[in-house]
Amino acid sequence: MTASAFGPILTAGITGGQQAFPFLTALVLVPAGAAVLVMLLPRSATWAIRAAGMAATLAVLGIAAAVLDQFQAGFGGYQMVSEHPWIAPLGISWTLGVDGISLFLVLMSAVLFPVALAGATARENPKSFTAWVLFLEAACLGSFLSIDVLLFFLFFEATLVPVYFLIAGWGHERRGYAATKFFLYTFAASAFMLVGIVSLVFIHQGQTGVTTFDIRELASTHLSGTADIVLFLSFTAAFAVKAPVFPFHTWSPDAYGESPAAGSVLLAGVMAKLGTYGIIRFDLGLFPHAVVVLAPLLLTLGVVGIIYGGIVAAVQHDLKRLVAYSSLAHLGFIVVGLFALTGESLSGAVLQMVNHGIYTAALFLLIAMIYRRRGTFAIPKLKGLQSSAPVLAAVFTVVMLASIGVPGLNGFVGEFLILSGTFLTHRWWAVAATGGVVVAAAYFLWAYQRVFHGKAEPVTGEAPFAEMTWREALVLAPLVVLIVALGVYPQPVLERITPSVDALVLHVEQAAHPRIPLAGQPVSGTLAARTSTAYSSSVTLQLGTGGERVPATRATGRETKGART
Amino acid sequence: MTGSTAILASMAAHLLAAGGIAMPRIDYTAILPELILLGGMLVLVLVSSLSPRPLPTEAYATATVGIGIASLVASLVLWRDVSDHGPFTAVARAVNVDGFGVLFLVLVSCILVVAPLLAAGHLRREGVGGCEYYVLALISGSGAMFMATANDLVLIFLALEILSIPLYILAGFDHLRESSGEAAMKYFVLGAFSSAIFVYGIALTYGATGSTNLAQIAAFLARNVVTSDGVLLGGLALLLVGFAFKVAAVPFHMWTPDVYQGSPTPATGFMASMAKAGGFAALLRVFVTTFPTLRGTWQPAIWVIAVLTLVLGAVVALVQSDVKRMLAYSSINHAGFVLLGLQAATARGVAGSVFYLFTYSFLVLGSFAVVSAVGGKGDERHGLERYRGLGRRQPALAVTFAVLLLAQAGAPFTTGFFAKFYVVEAAVSAHSYALAAVAMGTAAVAAFFYLRLVFLMFSDVGRTIPTHEGAATGGTPTDTLEMPSAGGVATLVAAPVAALVEVAEPDPAIVAVSPWVAAGLVLCVATTLVFGVWPQPLVDFAHQATLII
Amino acid sequence: MSIDASWYLTLAAALFTIGVVGLLVRRNVLVMFMCIELMLNAANLTFVTYARALDDVGGQVAVFFVLVVAAAEVVVGLGIIVAIFRRKVGATADDAHVMKG
Repeated sequence: MTASAFGPILTAGITGGQQAFPFLTALVLVPAGAAVLVMLLPRSATWAIRAAGMAATLAVLGIAAAVLDQFQAGFGGYQMVSEHPWIAPLGISWTLGVDGISLFLVLMSAVLFPVALAGATARENPKSFTAWVLFLEAACLGSFLSIDVLLFFLFFEATLVPVYFLIAGWGHERRGYAATKFFLYTFAASAFMLVGIVSLVFIHQGQTGVTTFDIRELASTHLSGTADIVLFLSFTAAFAVKAPVFPFHTWSPDAYGESPAAGSVLLAGVMAKLGTYGIIRFDLGLFPHAVVVLAPLLLTLGVVGIIYGGIVAAVQHDLKRLVAYSSLAHLGFIVVGLFALTGESLSGAVLQMVNHGIYTAALFLLIAMIYRRRGTFAIPKLKGLQSSAPVLAAVFTVVMLASIGVPGLNGFVGEFLILSGTFLTHRWWAVAATGGVVVAAAYFLWAYQRVFHGKAEPVTGEAPFAEMTWREALVLAPLVVLIVALGVYPQPVLERITPSVDALVLHVEQAAHPRIPLAGQPVSGTLAARTSTAYSSSVTLQLGTGGERVPATRATGRETKGART
Repeated sequence: MTGSTAILASMAAHLLAAGGIAMPRIDYTAILPELILLGGMLVLVLVSSLSPRPLPTEAYATATVGIGIASLVASLVLWRDVSDHGPFTAVARAVNVDGFGVLFLVLVSCILVVAPLLAAGHLRREGVGGCEYYVLALISGSGAMFMATANDLVLIFLALEILSIPLYILAGFDHLRESSGEAAMKYFVLGAFSSAIFVYGIALTYGATGSTNLAQIAAFLARNVVTSDGVLLGGLALLLVGFAFKVAAVPFHMWTPDVYQGSPTPATGFMASMAKAGGFAALLRVFVTTFPTLRGTWQPAIWVIAVLTLVLGAVVALVQSDVKRMLAYSSINHAGFVLLGLQAATARGVAGSVFYLFTYSFLVLGSFAVVSAVGGKGDERHGLERYRGLGRRQPALAVTFAVLLLAQAGAPFTTGFFAKFYVVEAAVSAHSYALAAVAMGTAAVAAFFYLRLVFLMFSDVGRTIPTHEGAATGGTPTDTLEMPSAGGVATLVAAPVAALVEVAEPDPAIVAVSPWVAAGLVLCVATTLVFGVWPQPLVDFAHQATLII
Repeated sequence: MSIDASWYLTLAAALFTIGVVGLLVRRNVLVMFMCIELMLNAANLTFVTYARALDDVGGQVAVFFVLVVAAAEVVVGLGIIVAIFRRKVGATADDAHVMKG
């Protein structure tokens, strides 16, 4: 009864009728088809293979841009839903949809894949490499777009195979260890998620008599306390490992460190978001009560991740591992934002997922550029690069400052929203997390100083450190533009994120405090629209003027009561 | 001559007059697939004895494939009949033609289409001529078919023996290799042992219920409330033990690793698919339809067996260094998954188990065929190290193996995933949450050893490896998955398989893959991937595999 | 004086147990094989006893099937044993130990 309002709210808005062109299905099928095409090309046709890879990923970017264009801001529900029966006897369907939460993750992925292919393709065996990257893109986009839980799970699992082969085939020295560890950790964690999904569907079937994996239907399942917690844990384990959330992160420094450059970019940029996206979409959507009960625990894990990631990053001698641990810290922020459960912090978390994808990808690409010149990731072996490559150093500085969270760059907006949102409900966690920002500044600046400052020691037999090439600049340019643009003017993004986040917050609030009865009210769709508008303006207010902050959830509550009286 | 005929006739007349034995009317169409297999087998034997010079093994393989296709057609006709007019019993209620049974007829026919292709390469390489391998496979197949459709415990026993005895011989088919004979002996002794246990179980069940007919037993149990009949429970337990031996469920699995390792590799694949299909068919039928009233008694036992089977199979496979042995333990793990469906004891559980067996049969046949090819002449090089760099040397073969292994691990968009999903769903809907969780946990463990093999094959595809200049002239690679002669569907699938990774470095370690084996492998991979992306037809198929009493 | 059916059943059970134990403890393949025969015949005895007790011909018919199957097993089993031990002196299960794991 408490959760039932969620369904109508999320299904309200535009479900799109029948789209003229199935944009979302195309987003998944284009890269998958291109991958098959690449497999069919002869191995020697290197140029054709690379061209096909770029063309496919750029086509996906184009389709994603079209989706952004078609997307109607101000609605919390899924849009452009394309629904086809797939395995009817088991209730599994090919249902894709996009909402404010997934929209920008899809866009970010669509940006990062061509960038990764252009900036970090493999010299050896480019055919298999390109095919695997394209498969990975299909699986990632499929995960972000699936409304059917089992379809999500299939795509979520399907990401493992290409990444495994990318690491195992093109990674560094300990690639076998890293690839296997990565696969087993994530596979083992999600194995239990499958049991969780099936159990949830079964419970739902018992209550309604309908076998379906559609999250919009499943959200209204009434779960007993224990079942709620157990199912929540079975889902969260998979997401926490994938993200990774401390203490399930041990695979990630190995995988990030041993991956080829493209692998690190995609792992940290896109795949990590699958974990946090899973939390916001499925944990918050399906188990709101358990989320409220267990939020302090996950908040604590997030904060520990921030501090731990920061400290361990500070003592790394390997640039790639440093970024890997800093990623852990940043994902800690996102987790804190998710489980603080205020509209502000959740919007910040979603935004931060996108931001983190962009600047971490840029960081890994920059590190790959250094590696290409010097053949090492070891900080002690690098020195004084700034004098010989000032442009590279400048770009590195911008990206690094975004990662630290300096105002005016994209990292700031997300972190700020997360921290201010968290401060309202969980003051001490927010304070501790703020400490993480300071640590991040410290380790990044220290590393920067060691690598770029000082006087380059001439090494015999080695060419002087080369400046960034045009090609490299071209690869990084879109990322740097996004870093600045999202830092200066995040409003269009937030406008589209907040309605969906609002609906979600409302859903969680109702589960936690059932005394706000909304269930079954026919006006719920309108109501959602109203609250989101109200909230959207409140965000504008905060960002624009820095004036008095209205806690989003309380505002929501007020609106609700207003609507009743 | 005439005298003895007269005596026989008078005996028959006497018996008929006494009313002791009435000859049943035999509906031959109901057992047509079995008859096709047995008739085809006889034709093979005749041709082989009458032909003036020995025919090549490929000729027999082709004939066997033809027989398999014929029985597949007959099975599909029966399937149409059953889905149009409902299930029926035939031959004095000893044979049960229902969706469940006919589905196994289809499965066995499919195995008999694929298996000869995969065996032909091995037999050619080892220089084994003659029709015997195929004849034994056909007899074994007919046994599995009778097991799936039998409606009488005595017929199940007979079918079990018809299934098993040829398998004992197939295990020892490489008579020159010591381990093959050892495998045959171990399989034979433990197989006969389990058969004897099974028969004693039948005898006790007969004593407790007064019949060996499954329907009559079920009717008896429905009429009479049996709470603590020691004889019946003893019979049930012995039946379970007998079946558990056949399907290699822990703790009755100890023969499996040795037999799988020692048998000729294609025979191992055949054994793993055929014995599991037949064994599980009868196991499911007997326990789900005949003893539903005793569910409370046997379900916990199955639960324990399933957990042991899942865990032991996955864990022990981890430490194996011989690929055949590893796959043997992994097959034990798979048997545990099939048991999930039995433990659920619902229509959905039965459908899940059937689906699992259907998909697993192709996976295991294909996997052992690859192992057979890589094992090389003598069929003895099965160490893990043998697979290092296979992805570079023979990409098509390595990709084929990787697909089959990943499907066994349950990777998405393969049949292996839906098989696991289906049985787990059945277990959950029967409230066996813990069992489902254990099963998925072991799937994660199992993923490790599949991946280890995959990694060995592909760890150097992204590396520059110094080429062996001298080796370039030695022997042309015979790894041909592009077959000009193969039909449209096969080439459609063969092209991507052959094209996925690049042409191999010329290397002395290249192993031969005959076009026959390649065709069989393409069939296995095609079913795995096509039904992995579009499982609806197979799911529908399994859904209609309902049992009748 | 007629003998109660339970005696036959007990005898059969005893034979069966002897067969099982024998198979598990003896290492000579031929003896193991005999133990299997013992088990099959214990089953036969049980069938006949029950057929008599139930006044049903089915159990007696089953015995014929079991006998035929036992004969077929003997043929194949002895063939396998002969094939293996043509190269060896003794015939014990422990001699076959190529495979371990």
